[in-house]
Amino acid sequence: MSEDSGATAPPYIVDLSVAVAVARFDASVMTLIQGYEARGQSLVLPVLALTGASLDVRTEDADDLLEGLERLENAEVASLRDAEQAVRLAAVIATTGLDPWDAHVAAVADAAVCPILTLDAPKWRQHSGDLDEPLHIIEIADPDEPAG
Amino acid sequence: MSDRKARLTITVDPHLTAYAEHLVETGKASSVSAVFNDAMEARIQRERRQRRLWKEAAERADPAKVARMMAHVDAQAAALPKR
Repeated sequence: MSEDSGATAPPYIVDLSVAVAVARFDASVMTLIQGYEARGQSLVLPVLALTGASLDVRTEDADDLLEGLERLENAEVASLRDAEQAVRLAAVIATTGLDPWDAHVAAVADAAVCPILTLDAPKWRQHSGDLDEPLHIIEIADPDEPAG
Repeated sequence: MSDRKARLTITVDPHLTAYAEHLVETGKASSVSAVFNDAMEARIQRERRQRRLWKEAAERADPAKVARMMAHVDAQAAALPKR
């Protein structure tokens, strides 16, 4: 075990926008994710974000890409395990007004105190103060490309 | 790995057992073992297809763009409050 800083990078919570990018075969985002996989960076995949992405892109390839995301060594699906989590999700939906796909991401990020990895930072900034603790956001963007 | 078939003891959910037996009874499969073999083969092919798609993405991506995106993500991660 390392004795240097003792700090490990927290897992990134993958949001709907990133899952949709994977389902749409966004080569840059997929390669970025594979880069983090190679580094050992943990990713958490809220299961409803995967559902939302599959609904967005209704093809067999899209579903294969999403299942491939789950197969990454350092990726773990966050499911809705029990009634307590289901009720907690309902509370997040009611508090934030987010869709279930996004609310599940927020609920997982809030419970795990981990940053949300997203292509849509403005949406999350709008909701970052909706819960008791602020949500932390990491935006995927190419700084050399104009924001669109 | 040997090409010889191995005897395997597995526990299967009742509805899957019933379906496998139905396939055998209706002549759609030669045996329950064949059903298991086909299912595993299909899974292997599906996982290969998934890996191939992810590999294709890496081949198509612009490495410079991905490097800039990764640096951008890393900078934000470094600025987060420590847990």
